[in-house]
Amino acid sequence: MLDLRRFLAGLVMLGASASAAIAQPQSVRIGVIEPQTGPVAFDGTSVLRGARLAAEEINRAGGVLGRPLELVIADGACRPADSVAAAERLITSEKVAALMGAFCSGATQAVMPIAERNRIPLVTGVSSLPTLTEAGNRWFFRNAETDAVLAAAFARGLVEQTKAKTVAFLAVNDDWGRGTVGAFRGVFERLGVTISMAEFFDHSASDFYTPLTRIRSARPDLVVVVAETQAAATLVKQARELRLSSRIFGVGAWSTPTFLNLVGSAANGLLAGVAYTATAPGDLNAAFVQAYRAANNEDPGKYSASGYTTMHLIAQAIARAGSTDAVAIQTALEATDYTGPTGNLRFDGKHQVYGLQLYVVEIENGRPEVRGTARIERAD
Amino acid sequence: MLLGDILQFALNGVVTGCFYALMALGLSLVFGLMNIVNFAHGALFVLGGMLASEATNRLGLPFWAAVPAVLLVMWAVGVAIEGGLLARMRDAHILPVTLVTIGLSTFLVNTMLMLFGTEPKNVETGFSGPPFFLGDVIISQSRVLAIGVSAVAILATWVLIAHTRAGRAMRAVFQQPEAAALAGIPIARVHRFTFALGTTLAGLAGILLGAVFVVHPNTAEPAAVKAFVVIILGGIGSLPGAVLGGLLLGLAESLWGGFVSTGYMDAVGFVLVIAILLFRPSGLLGAPAAREG
Amino acid sequence: MTENRTVVLLLLLAAILPAFAGGQYVMHLLIMTFFYAMLSTSLNLIVGYVGELSLGHAAFFGLGAYASAVLSLEAGLPFFACLPVAGVVAGLAALLIGSITLRLEGHFFVLISLAFAEVLRYVVINSIDLLRGPLGYPNVPAPRLSLGGTVLADFSSKIHFYYLGLALLALTLLAAWRFARSSYGLGAIAVRENRRLARAVGIDPFRHALVAFVVGGALAGLAGSFYAHYLTFVGPEVLGFGFTLSALMMVVIGGRGTLLGPLLGAAVVGITLELLRSVNEARLSIFGILLVLAVIFLPDGLVSLAARWRRPTLEADQATAALDSPLRP
Repeated sequence: MLDLRRFLAGLVMLGASASAAIAQPQSVRIGVIEPQTGPVAFDGTSVLRGARLAAEEINRAGGVLGRPLELVIADGACRPADSVAAAERLITSEKVAALMGAFCSGATQAVMPIAERNRIPLVTGVSSLPTLTEAGNRWFFRNAETDAVLAAAFARGLVEQTKAKTVAFLAVNDDWGRGTVGAFRGVFERLGVTISMAEFFDHSASDFYTPLTRIRSARPDLVVVVAETQAAATLVKQARELRLSSRIFGVGAWSTPTFLNLVGSAANGLLAGVAYTATAPGDLNAAFVQAYRAANNEDPGKYSASGYTTMHLIAQAIARAGSTDAVAIQTALEATDYTGPTGNLRFDGKHQVYGLQLYVVEIENGRPEVRGTARIERAD
Repeated sequence: MLLGDILQFALNGVVTGCFYALMALGLSLVFGLMNIVNFAHGALFVLGGMLASEATNRLGLPFWAAVPAVLLVMWAVGVAIEGGLLARMRDAHILPVTLVTIGLSTFLVNTMLMLFGTEPKNVETGFSGPPFFLGDVIISQSRVLAIGVSAVAILATWVLIAHTRAGRAMRAVFQQPEAAALAGIPIARVHRFTFALGTTLAGLAGILLGAVFVVHPNTAEPAAVKAFVVIILGGIGSLPGAVLGGLLLGLAESLWGGFVSTGYMDAVGFVLVIAILLFRPSGLLGAPAAREG
Repeated sequence: MTENRTVVLLLLLAAILPAFAGGQYVMHLLIMTFFYAMLSTSLNLIVGYVGELSLGHAAFFGLGAYASAVLSLEAGLPFFACLPVAGVVAGLAALLIGSITLRLEGHFFVLISLAFAEVLRYVVINSIDLLRGPLGYPNVPAPRLSLGGTVLADFSSKIHFYYLGLALLALTLLAAWRFARSSYGLGAIAVRENRRLARAVGIDPFRHALVAFVVGGALAGLAGSFYAHYLTFVGPEVLGFGFTLSALMMVVIGGRGTLLGPLLGAAVVGITLELLRSVNEARLSIFGILLVLAVIFLPDGLVSLAARWRRPTLEADQATAALDSPLRP
């Protein structure tokens, strides 16, 4: 019966750790579910850096409701099961007032019903699958551009600017890559642009010579690449090695310092559509970049900015709600009107953010220069 | 489809094939000789790349100095793992041993994420000049370097196994472990040597990966799985098989991706494995796969 | 037969536990423990009783999850209709794959089982129109238990899933126990212990292994169906290597080839991972070390600890384990 005893002892310990967490009433706790391990660990960590900076700023200014803001961070690993476990723990044993996360759309989708069932506001700063905000979940908010919105904002301008007649797609084989290609393809086809090919690669892929060789032969005017830092960096270097003559337009974290460091001079001449760039104009952004640099010794990227603004708008909503009551926070979130480094953010009736600034940047001498802007308008 | 494209696909295939071959070489020796399904092989491969990245970027060592230094460290890591963990489990069932390598892999991958950060890394080679042109076919300097170093490493391994005392002992243990032990071959030392060699080869593959592409702890698991595919294709414990299997997989993936679709590129190896085991169950070069009964 | 009694006692304890321990999170952990116990019990039939290392188990679990998600979302079937279908689909897949792969020698079987699972995962990732590819299936509906017109349980609360999971776990354990006691199970064990001898007395190793493979596959399919309706989201990751690894870990840590082992493994691994949350980033590194130590010091799993406790010497230890085993012919 030794094993039974061990089992019960474990359960008791679990209960003890849960009650220890509750005995800390003074701070306002926000649960943050981001991938710290797994395929997007790097981007998830960037979100966390942004969120931590925001929390420090808020606490230096006196916290929320006169109490310090405390981030309770959990690793969701981009997997639905891990993210759900994290959400259950944060809500019931860590007693968080609101949730932020869970990065990958699949993981976020799995967490959404839990937020709804427990009546806890959930704000994502990343998940871009358009249908998330179509589900009618009133506890869910999205502070990010969707695949469709991004395509609508950039596709036409891109065709006009580059005068492209033929386009090829090269994208990561997941919901985000597939979704973005689908959205861009729709707009391009309506504009009469020929799609010469759409190729997808695995998350862990490192050799892109094969699809790039195909693209080189097809000679499209424009190549739209949907990829995160790791794949994007290798892909661009290889495109340059292969002397690909087509213009490259990147979607993803393409103006981050890690990307630019890895790619080096090969990045020059790239176009990228990003929801944030450290070189964006405005005093609010300049202040954010300065603070972020001081804390992390590098420029912020798309994900750091999303972590930063998402945390700020959650904290503001709690402040406006006047309490940590979930319904009050949910109502306050609906009335969000936050101006930060990414624009003046508000939520529409489906809880999709609008007012977010989008940028087309061109990399020049290793620096992303803003070539055009678009603003996400209210959609509903 | 232009001839230039086909040649380019083939050349791409050879480059990835070299990586696969190097990875599979070490894994095949360990699997064939020690009967260990080494899931830590991918993590060791990443470790080589990470160490080389630190050596060339942070310490500023030149590539040619960094490589032997990292390989030496990898050898020591291999000796330590075999001596500290695997030697204790020499007579254990395949299942617990497999699990030990899984635990080791979990430890290595996550410790690397903690120590070296979550961002992808590259290895500075100094070979970043303009690529070479062969008609329409293009190959970068770092890829030529990777092919060259792989060829040398494969050759050196072959010489080691075919023409040295240690190699003879390894072959004896692989073919007839009991007879080898009776003949006075120190099985324990052969195992340690084999594992260290496998670890070093994995590390070298990781260094080259960082030189040509980028290296990141995430690549550990898919890389290990790919290497297993290669040794099935080539035949377990067969050195020429590992090389041939690696090149075959590299070429097959590249040509499939080039002519059909890149979406299924990473599935090509698994389909080949299934096909080969159904139609030629011994792998391309290797012992029979069907049971005696 | 202490092992059987321990298992029954554990299940009974679990059945009355909600009366004492509450909390949504503890409930969630227990539900996931039931799920993992089902998954590892199903894998145990193959790795524990037949003694073959199958690395493709996620294929059957994933197929069950997908079958259940697709049937309930596309065809509108209720959970209690999807559940058996998921088991049948996974069992048929195991029959197909097993009849091809189980003829191969051990080394090759290890890798080809993985190859089948990976091919399946890539097929799903690339089947956008048919299976929604990487988008997966969100909003898999909760089960609903009704009798006549009255709804008995709508599964809006965790306690419903708790008892559903417990019931399915009991069913899985019963099936595993029945299998192990059947002539097929005994035959499989005979083959595991001594293949040549088993053949000599007329046991066909392939047939015995195949039956274990199919039963294990079908049980994994049931676990997949439960997972789909509890977590509400099914994507290609259910076919990934991660689930196989987790189950394998639990089987070995608990004790392979025993009824109690996978159960203990699921609980201990789950609790350890939970307790390690306090060390943040070092969590998985430490878990890796613990895993290595656990296997090196207890290669036969936690179950062997009980035997060691009772009899001091190693020989007596093994003798006791053999006598205690409900699987003895």
